[in-house]
Amino acid sequence: MSTAQADPVSDDASHGEHGHDHDHPAFLAHHFDTPEQQFDSGKLGIWLFLVTEVLFFSGMFVAYAIFRNLRPDVFVGSSEFLNTKLGAINTGVLLFSSLTMAWAVRCSQTGEHKKLTGMLAATLSCSMVFLGVKAIEYSHKWGMGLLPAGTFFYDPANPHPTTDQLETLGFTSGTAFFLHNSLYFLCAPFLIVLLGVVAWLILSIVKGNKFQTACAMPLTIVCLSFFGGVGLGVILESGSEEGHGAAHDVAGHHGEGVAHSDAVPSVIDDGKVAAPALNDDASETSVLERLATDSTNTGLMSDVAARQAQASVASGAVVRGDDTNFEGGISEASANVLTQRQAGKFFSIYYCMTGVHAIHILGGIAVLVWLLIRSVRQDFNSRYFGPVDYVGLYWHLVDLIWIYLFPLLYLIR
Amino acid sequence: MFANAMNLLGDLTEDYAFFPEKASTFAQDNDWLFMFITWTSVLFFVPIAGCLVWFSFKYGKPKGGKAESDVSHNTPLELAWSILPSFVLVGMFVLGAKAYLDQRSVPDGANEIGIQAFKWGWTVDYGGGVYHPELHILKDEPVKLSMRSSDVIHSLYIPAFRAKKDIVPGRYNYMWFKPTVASEKVSDEELAKALKETKDLGEEWNFDERQFTPDGYRFYDLYCTEYCGTNHSEMQTVVVVHETLEDLNAWIKKYSARPDGTTPAEYGALLYDRRGCKSCHSIDGTKMVGPSFQNLYGRQEAMVTGESFLADENYIRESILYPKAKVVAGYQPVMPSYKGQLSDDDIYSIVEWMKSISSNAAGGAEEAAKTEE
Amino acid sequence: MSSGSIPPGSVVKDPGFPTKQENYLTNSKGILSWMFTLDHKRIGVMYLVGVSLAFLFAGILALLIRYHLMEPDGKLFKGANANNMYNQLFTLHGAVMVFLFIIPSIPAALGNFLVPVMLGAKDVAFPRLNLASFYLWCAGAIFFVAALFGTGLDTGWTFYTPYSTTTDTSVIAATMGAFILGFSSIFTGLNFIVTINTMRPPGMTWFRMPLFLWATYATSIIQVLATPVLGITLLLLIAERTLHIGIFDPEFNGDPVTYQHFFWFYSHPAVYIMILPAFGIISDLIAVHSHKRIFGYRFIAYSSIAIALLGFLVWGHHMFTAGMSPMTTIIFSALTFTVSVPSAIKVFNWLATMYKGSISLTTPMCFALAFIFLFTIGGLTGLHLGTLATDMHLHDTYFVVAHFHYVMVGGTLVAFLGGVFHWWPKMFGKMYSEAGGRLSSLIIFIGFNLTFLPQFVLGSRGMPRRYATYDPEFAYLHQMSTYGAMLLGIGLLTALVVLLHSLFRGKDAPANPWGAATLEWQCTSPPPFYNFERAPVVGDPYDFSKIEWDSENERYVTVEPERETVPEEKPAIQPAH
Repeated sequence: MSTAQADPVSDDASHGEHGHDHDHPAFLAHHFDTPEQQFDSGKLGIWLFLVTEVLFFSGMFVAYAIFRNLRPDVFVGSSEFLNTKLGAINTGVLLFSSLTMAWAVRCSQTGEHKKLTGMLAATLSCSMVFLGVKAIEYSHKWGMGLLPAGTFFYDPANPHPTTDQLETLGFTSGTAFFLHNSLYFLCAPFLIVLLGVVAWLILSIVKGNKFQTACAMPLTIVCLSFFGGVGLGVILESGSEEGHGAAHDVAGHHGEGVAHSDAVPSVIDDGKVAAPALNDDASETSVLERLATDSTNTGLMSDVAARQAQASVASGAVVRGDDTNFEGGISEASANVLTQRQAGKFFSIYYCMTGVHAIHILGGIAVLVWLLIRSVRQDFNSRYFGPVDYVGLYWHLVDLIWIYLFPLLYLIR
Repeated sequence: MFANAMNLLGDLTEDYAFFPEKASTFAQDNDWLFMFITWTSVLFFVPIAGCLVWFSFKYGKPKGGKAESDVSHNTPLELAWSILPSFVLVGMFVLGAKAYLDQRSVPDGANEIGIQAFKWGWTVDYGGGVYHPELHILKDEPVKLSMRSSDVIHSLYIPAFRAKKDIVPGRYNYMWFKPTVASEKVSDEELAKALKETKDLGEEWNFDERQFTPDGYRFYDLYCTEYCGTNHSEMQTVVVVHETLEDLNAWIKKYSARPDGTTPAEYGALLYDRRGCKSCHSIDGTKMVGPSFQNLYGRQEAMVTGESFLADENYIRESILYPKAKVVAGYQPVMPSYKGQLSDDDIYSIVEWMKSISSNAAGGAEEAAKTEE
Repeated sequence: MSSGSIPPGSVVKDPGFPTKQENYLTNSKGILSWMFTLDHKRIGVMYLVGVSLAFLFAGILALLIRYHLMEPDGKLFKGANANNMYNQLFTLHGAVMVFLFIIPSIPAALGNFLVPVMLGAKDVAFPRLNLASFYLWCAGAIFFVAALFGTGLDTGWTFYTPYSTTTDTSVIAATMGAFILGFSSIFTGLNFIVTINTMRPPGMTWFRMPLFLWATYATSIIQVLATPVLGITLLLLIAERTLHIGIFDPEFNGDPVTYQHFFWFYSHPAVYIMILPAFGIISDLIAVHSHKRIFGYRFIAYSSIAIALLGFLVWGHHMFTAGMSPMTTIIFSALTFTVSVPSAIKVFNWLATMYKGSISLTTPMCFALAFIFLFTIGGLTGLHLGTLATDMHLHDTYFVVAHFHYVMVGGTLVAFLGGVFHWWPKMFGKMYSEAGGRLSSLIIFIGFNLTFLPQFVLGSRGMPRRYATYDPEFAYLHQMSTYGAMLLGIGLLTALVVLLHSLFRGKDAPANPWGAATLEWQCTSPPPFYNFERAPVVGDPYDFSKIEWDSENERYVTVEPERETVPEEKPAIQPAH
């Protein structure tokens, strides 16, 4: 921990000459006087870092509050599509990982090296299960088109479109293929890492390197946990298909509302409803038809109507809902919940919040792996356990954020 | 530069030294408040700057000199200079907030005018299908502007009225003011001369040079003050205040529809000037934000989708009403829709005018006929 | 010089000059010893070079802007692309100045060098994080350069939606750059807070800290609390551009005003990130060069913290015309007035410090005086903008441009230059030409006023900002401004020449050339790489009574009355621990 250009040798030598006028063990950085000062600095540093993290997320929580306040019905309606069971399992998994993390900190203080490695591996495994479940949740939604506002294409009549259908929606064939098979794309990096770790394990056993074996063994289990999470997700997601059916039904009713209230003729076949105006572009309605409806337009009728509406809403406030439809009251607005502009926004915020949270989990995994290797090296003891403590605090914060995200996103209906 | 500085000093004696003309009810209050704050600031600033200079010379000592005093603090004095200026600040705040509330509360019975802001121009909606880029209003009558933006944030600013308001897309924005000074009208001879000159030179009307509108009115500037892209600095128009209602109505009537005796093509050219087409579409083949209108009519246009369409009446009509339905390759889908803003006759006139500036109009029409067969 | 002699019968304390092995600049050699250094002083010097280059670049852009505005129709750029070129010019000028220069200038360049030395510590708390911040700064700068060489950037430095989500310029590269620079800034602030909290040597109590440290502490609080919000805002903006998440873009039912709230929640406190360290520098400069105890230490220290906290409550005053409800607008106006009080306190305190002092009109003092003059104008014209009714007229006009340049350039830049001139002998161990330094401060002062005073008049006459072309009636004010900008450029160039000249021809600087009492002047110039061999004895940072001018050696020294000392003896037996 000495500077590159400072000559630590002479520094240490001078300490030697002075007969260790103060204790300067190897783990103590040169610019600190005592281990306590180093620990306090690290602790204050990590707390400040957590403050910045809280403020980082607070931006998104504020965005959530603003838009939920503007369109409460959209949030409640779209939340139907989130699988509460999977969310609850993830909450439990993260809570348990917090426990193992706290236990790991305790182990590092008491110098129980084996147990510390075990606890860190347990924490890592939990985070992998979490990501596995998340991969299922994401890929399922991507396949159905429950995407951010710009790309949202969910159609209650056809919740699971094929790649060909996706291409007709204007996606390139590559994107369509990705959306349809997103689970494989999400799992691939983890599979590569798993294979790498297994190879490392075998190699280290063959070479008889005990340290590397001791590192690779828990990491193999950790990587396998991801696929445990995926398996869990697959079972629960397919088991809850009925629940989803209900959501589709709700959507279907909404769709019907659109069909009845909309003046544009819509296609109705065998009781099921195809909502025509889900995409703003409504490119199905041919241009000629629109021109035909406009041929009587002198600009006057629509203009007068628009101006009346404009005068009544001209309060300087945000225009709520779809501003192409001024007459719409709240009853009509609920019919528009499942549109790109509306539901898309809920999913935008959902992906932003859970996505940034998942990135934090990935970051946590990286530092936990680093800790795990150091714990195998038996770096930590009762006088030096700062890194474990700091990472523990960070991990608890990441859990805490999820504990807010879960009810705010999953449990609002 | 020296001459310029003298010029400025000379100007200071004039009324308009620090402000544009005072032409609305807000101007009087605002300028008074501005000068009040300025003089209060001067009252603080001159002693501070004076002390700064005086101390530096009075207490300037050679190196090693000792300070005459070693006082570390004086709490009553410090509290005094912290608290006393606060009263002045409260005064400024109250006066400012009061005047602001006046500016935000529209009086009953204000005339309402619609404003559409777009990249980079203005459309004023006088009702009854009358649109014009110039804002014409009546003296001593409060006006409420209901403003919308079709693309990005703009801001409507009339310095002479001391009034400004951002136009945020997705919202309705309003502002009001009451003009107090009517625009003068220049003499008919001068106007006729200017019109003739402009026509002879084949130029557009130059507001900056002429300082009156093509109808002969002096005007106030209207600016966009929220940065909105490439031609932000050219997003200007003019405000004309009419003395009497008759005068205003006569002006509106003049622009309400295609006047008798004007051919559709001539009127289309006027609309091209007036309705903001020219800020994005050239007529000399230059590529601007949108495709040039030169020889557009009757040409095959390649779309971003890879398809290709013949630019005929229907195509142009659709592009005006639903600009995003077919986007020409190489351009962004940024054009605002003119649905409800141009009457059928307007669109017809524009198409006729585009035919008149297209060399393949006749051939194009024949080709179109062929494909229909 | 009778007043400057050393009283007879006293002991002179002076650390002398560093040896080559001790000097932090020379104790190790090679480019790698700089690139991987963990020494806060070297990192500070690297920042100084980096921010100076950024300033040079953005300054040239500023001159180009002013040159273009010589004529109503634009002098520099002609033809169809002229407006676009101009827009890119002012956007890059603003973005580079704000993100790459002003925000890191004083805290990162001077702060990194000074905070540990002033504090009496060996280094900042996290030296590796410190180096990482510097490389993050470099990465951010590279993103900006990439934006420039990509399709440019024409959004204005504020990236307002929906323009920034619809323009086809390199918004993503630039926002990524700003995002990375944000983290550089967060880590620097975090480092300083921890350093000041835990690394103070015995005797360095909170109220014995120099005011520069108080100001840095207040700045760091803002950096840590406000910058993450910018980070998430920019991330959401990138998501808006790529995925159309519909939070800021009205086309997908988002709300552009929400973006403005998010953006200014950071960027208004960021204004105080820029100006607070300047206050700290000026407090120290005025006291040292007046050789008199700073007047009202606690008022100045507390007002720094007050500004930092109040700064979080006034962001709405950037949006008075943007569409908040009248009640919100009025509340923000009231809060804005409260933040002006602590700034005023400082100006009065500085004047009172000069009163009955012993003022040396050195180059740093000249800059400090210029700062007070210019900052007072900048602060007072803020009143016009905080008052709602007048802001309706002045918002987004040249009045605003002039106002914030008086604060950012007349304030921060002038204080930064004053600080650089003040600590230059400490940083590089060389004295510069005093005459040259004072001349540069005079040219800068005149050039600056000539540039920006006319802009106040332009603004109140109704000239909107960010205009590539303008109406002819504004022409001569614009021309005055352009001539002023050229003069300002000459002044800055003079300052650069004076400083660079000193590196090669300057006299070796004594440990304490100005007669300051803070700790950094108690080690050699330049400081040894370890700062202090043992924890220094901390005294009152503004007690100048024991500092005397040693005219023989042209240096200030600390004198103590002679007293008998116990003969130095080593105990025969080392005490056991």
